[in-house]
Amino acid sequence: MQIVIDGKTCDAKRGEFLLDIAKRNGIDIPTLCHLDALPGEGNCRMCIVEVLERGRSRVVTSCIYPVKRPVEVLTNTPKIIKMRKTLVMLLASRVPENDMIYQLCEQYDVKPPMRFTKDPTEECILCRLCVRACEEIKLNAISTVNRGITKKISTPFDEPSDTCIGCGACAYVCPTNAIKIHDKNGKRYMWNKSFELLKCEKCGEYFTTRENFEYVNKQLECKEPKILCDKCKKTQAQENLRDIFSTYEM
Amino acid sequence: MNDMDKKSILVCCGPGCLSDNSDEVLANFKQKLQGQDIDIKAVVKGTGCQGLCEMGPLVRILPQDILYCKVRAADVDEIIEKTIIGNDIVERLLYHDTDSKKGVVSSNQIDFYRGQKKIALRNVGLIDPKNIDDYIAQDGYSALKKVLTQESREYAIDEIERSGLRGRGGAGFPTGIKWRQCAEFEEKPKYVICNGDEGDPGAFMDRSIIEGDPHSVIEGMTICAYAIGANNGFMYIRDEYFLAISNMTHALKQARASGFLGKNILGSGFDFDIEIVRGGGAFVCGESTALIASIEGRVGEPRAKYIHSNEQGLWYKPTVLNNVETWANVPFIINQGAERFGKIGTKKSKGTKVFSLVGKVKNTGLIEVPMGMPLRQIIFDIGGGINGNRKFKAVQTGGPSGGCIPEDHLDINVDFDSLAEAGSMMGSGGMIVMDDRSCMVDVARYYLNFLSGESCGKCIPCREGIKRMLEILNDICCGKGREGDLELLMEIAETVEEASLCGLGKTAPNPVITTLRYFKDEYIAHIKEKRCPAGVCRELTSYHIDQELCRGCGLCSKQCPQDAIAKRDKYFAIDESLCVKCGSCIDTCRFDAIKVGGRISCK
Ligand SMILES: Cc1cc2nc3c(=O)[nH]c(=O)nc-3n(C[C@H](O)[C@H](O)[C@H](O)COP(=O)(O)O)c2cc1C
Ligand code: SF4
Ligand code: FES
Repeated sequence: MQIVIDGKTCDAKRGEFLLDIAKRNGIDIPTLCHLDALPGEGNCRMCIVEVLERGRSRVVTSCIYPVKRPVEVLTNTPKIIKMRKTLVMLLASRVPENDMIYQLCEQYDVKPPMRFTKDPTEECILCRLCVRACEEIKLNAISTVNRGITKKISTPFDEPSDTCIGCGACAYVCPTNAIKIHDKNGKRYMWNKSFELLKCEKCGEYFTTRENFEYVNKQLECKEPKILCDKCKKTQAQENLRDIFSTYEM
Repeated sequence: MNDMDKKSILVCCGPGCLSDNSDEVLANFKQKLQGQDIDIKAVVKGTGCQGLCEMGPLVRILPQDILYCKVRAADVDEIIEKTIIGNDIVERLLYHDTDSKKGVVSSNQIDFYRGQKKIALRNVGLIDPKNIDDYIAQDGYSALKKVLTQESREYAIDEIERSGLRGRGGAGFPTGIKWRQCAEFEEKPKYVICNGDEGDPGAFMDRSIIEGDPHSVIEGMTICAYAIGANNGFMYIRDEYFLAISNMTHALKQARASGFLGKNILGSGFDFDIEIVRGGGAFVCGESTALIASIEGRVGEPRAKYIHSNEQGLWYKPTVLNNVETWANVPFIINQGAERFGKIGTKKSKGTKVFSLVGKVKNTGLIEVPMGMPLRQIIFDIGGGINGNRKFKAVQTGGPSGGCIPEDHLDINVDFDSLAEAGSMMGSGGMIVMDDRSCMVDVARYYLNFLSGESCGKCIPCREGIKRMLEILNDICCGKGREGDLELLMEIAETVEEASLCGLGKTAPNPVITTLRYFKDEYIAHIKEKRCPAGVCRELTSYHIDQELCRGCGLCSKQCPQDAIAKRDKYFAIDESLCVKCGSCIDTCRFDAIKVGGRISCK
C-alpha cells in the first residue's frame, strides 16, 4: 500500500503507524512523548497531522494512528501549526523556566501570555515516558496519580518507593530534564530516596547504585559479578576477546 | 372477582420520591392493606420513577388512573378509605393545574405527561421492578423469544439497523451498524457491555431505567449477544447507585431462574450471562474506552479510538457497548417492528429520547419525548415554564460538556443534529433550564471547574487547556478579566476541541464556546464595565434599593438572612458590607425596587 505524506509517496504496511512511516521517509513530525523504545503514549499531541480521506480532513495523532487505507497526509498545514503553537504556549505556561520548552517557544515563535499564574519550579509536562520506562524494567516505582489538573507523577503516597533502585531510567528518558538526580559524596538522591553509589573496581569512578547493580545481576542470573562501570566493562571485554584471539593465533 | 377489577396502587420509589420518603408511604400501604379484614381488591407495588419528581411522592391508582401528589404516610388511610374501598377522590392530593388551579385527576390530562411518548421508559413507573412476572405481563422477553425461536441473528441486526436507532449515550452512533460490524468479526470470544456510568451531575435517566425496568436492559443485551455471537456481558453501573445495583442483581437472578439467561436460553442452545461491574464513579469512566479499561481492571483512562471497540474492545476482543437507554429500546423495536419505531422522530433521529429536566422549570422530572419536539414545547408545556414566571435565559443540554442554548433558538427541534448545529449536543439527556438570574460566565466557569477535576489529565490540550480556560473564567468572574481574554479563550478552546484524545476533551470547550457565541455581551460587561448583569458574581455585583420604587413595606428586610437591610429615614437601604448577594430580597420585593449594579469601586 502507498500513502502520500506532504506530497511524497511512501510505502506503508496496513496497521503501521503514520509517524513511523513519516520518519522512515525523512519527514519530520515533532514529538514529545514518543520514543521508538516506548511508543504509543499519545499524550502530548504535538505529532498531530491532517489526514485527507474522501474529501474530508481529520486531525489525527500520528504516533498512534494506524494506516488502514491509502490516504493523503499533511503534516504542516496552517491549522496544524496553529494548534502546535497553542500546545507549546500551554506547555510554556506550565513549565515556564524549562530550557527545552523555551527552545520550542523560539522555534514556533510563541510568546507565552503573561496573564497566567506560573510555577517556576515545575518542569514536568506529564508525558509519562518515565512511568513507561519504569514499567518496562518491571519495577513500577512511579506512576501518575490524581486526575484532571492535579495529575502528577509520583511514588506511591509520595513516600520513598520500596521498589525504586535509583537506576535513573526515568531521568534518562525525560524530554524536559524534569527528574533530578543528585549524586553527592558517594550517595545518590532521587524520588525522595537515597542510595549508595558503587565505585568501579577498575577506574574508581562512581557509576551506579548498589540496588541497581544487584537488580541487574539478579536479572542476568550473574552469581559473582565484578563491580565495573560500562566503560571499563567494554575495555575488559575487548581485552578478553583479544586474549581469546591470541590463543587461536598461537 | 377477576383480576381486572383489582386496583393497583403504584407508589413511586424513584430517586426523587424516595428522597421524600415514599418508602414510608409504600410500607404503610402494605401494612394497612394486609391488616384489613374486609376484602380489598388491590395490589400495592413500589415502582420506578413515574416522572413528575417535582410533585413527589407520587401514588398512581389503576385502572382508574388517578394520580396523587406529595403523598405522605399519613395520607394512606384516607386514600384507602376513599379511593380504594370507596370510589371517591381525595381532592387535596390531586395535581392542580398551574393556570386554572383546578385539580386534575388522571396523569394523561396533565401537561407534563401529555406530550410525552414512552418507549425506553414504557414500563418504568408502571411495573414492580422486582417482579419478573410484571415485566412478562407487559410483553417482556417476548422479543427475545421471537428472535431465538422464530427469527434469526440476521433478523435482529436488520431490524435494529432499519429502525434507525442511534446510541442514546452521547455520540448517537447508529446501533445497527455497530452490531453488524461486530457480528462480522470472526474473532472470539465477543462481549456485550451496558454503559450505566451516568457521570453527568444531576442526571438520572439511566439510573431510573435500571431501577425501574431492569429486565428490558437484560433483554436488549441478550438479543444483541445472540445476534453477534457473544456469551458474556457486563453491566457497568456506577457505585453510588445502590438501588439500581440491587434491583439489577435481583433481576439477573430472576432471569436466570426463568431461563432467559444462563445456559441454553429458552432451549435454543445459546448461552449468555451478564455480570455487574461497579463503576468507580469518575465521569471520564463513562467514555467507552475508559470504561473498558476499568472493566479490565486498569486505570479508567481513555485510549485512541482509531480501532473501534467493535473490532478490539474488551480484552481486545470484538465488543458491542451501548448505553442503558439504547438497550431498553431494543425489545420494543423487535416486538413492534422497525417501521413503527421509524415513524416516530425525525428523518435522521428516530424514536424518542429520555431527558432529566431540571433547573428553573416548574415541573422538574424525568421525561421521554419524540425526537424532534421543539425545545420550547419541552420547557414550556411539559416543564410548565419558568419557576416564579421569571424570564427564560438559556437551557444547557448534553451534560457538563454540552452547550447553552438561548431564547432565540428555542424553536429548534430537539434531535442529534440540530442540537449539534446549535453548538450543544444531545449527550445522554441532561437538560438544565436557567432563568435570568443565571450569569452565563459563571455557568461556563462552573462546568469547566467540574471538567478540570474529571478530565483524566492524560493529554496536554485537555488538561492544560481546561486549566487555563478555567483560570481566565475565574478571573473574569471576580473582576480581573483583561483585554484579550476572549481571544485567548477562543484560541485555547479551538485547540482543545481538535487536538484532545477523547470525547471529554473534544467537547470540554462547549460551555465556553456557546456562552461566548450567544452571550458575549455578558462577558464584555464583566471585563470592561466590571459588572455582572445577572447579579451573580459577587465581586462584580452590588444591590441597592430604588427609592422611587420602594414603598417601605419592609418585607425584604425580614427576608434578608444577613440582616443587611434596614430602614434609613423613610426608605430601606442595603448595607453593602453585609450583603452576600443571595437575591432573596429581589425574590420578595413586589415592587421591583431592588436593583443590581456593578462593582462598588471603593471596596
Ligand atoms: C467523557 C465522556 C463521558 C461519557 N459518559 C457516558 C455515560 O455516562 N453513559 C453512556 O452511556 N455513555 C457515555 N459516554 C459515551 C460513550 O463513550 C459511548 O459513546 C456510549 O456509551 C455508546 O453507547 P451508545 O451508542 O448506545 O450511545 C461518554 C463519553 C464521554 C466522552
Ligand atoms: S481528552 Fe481529557 S479526558 Fe480524554 S484522554 Fe485526554 S486528558 Fe483524558
Ligand atoms: S508524540 Fe504523539 S502524542 Fe506525543
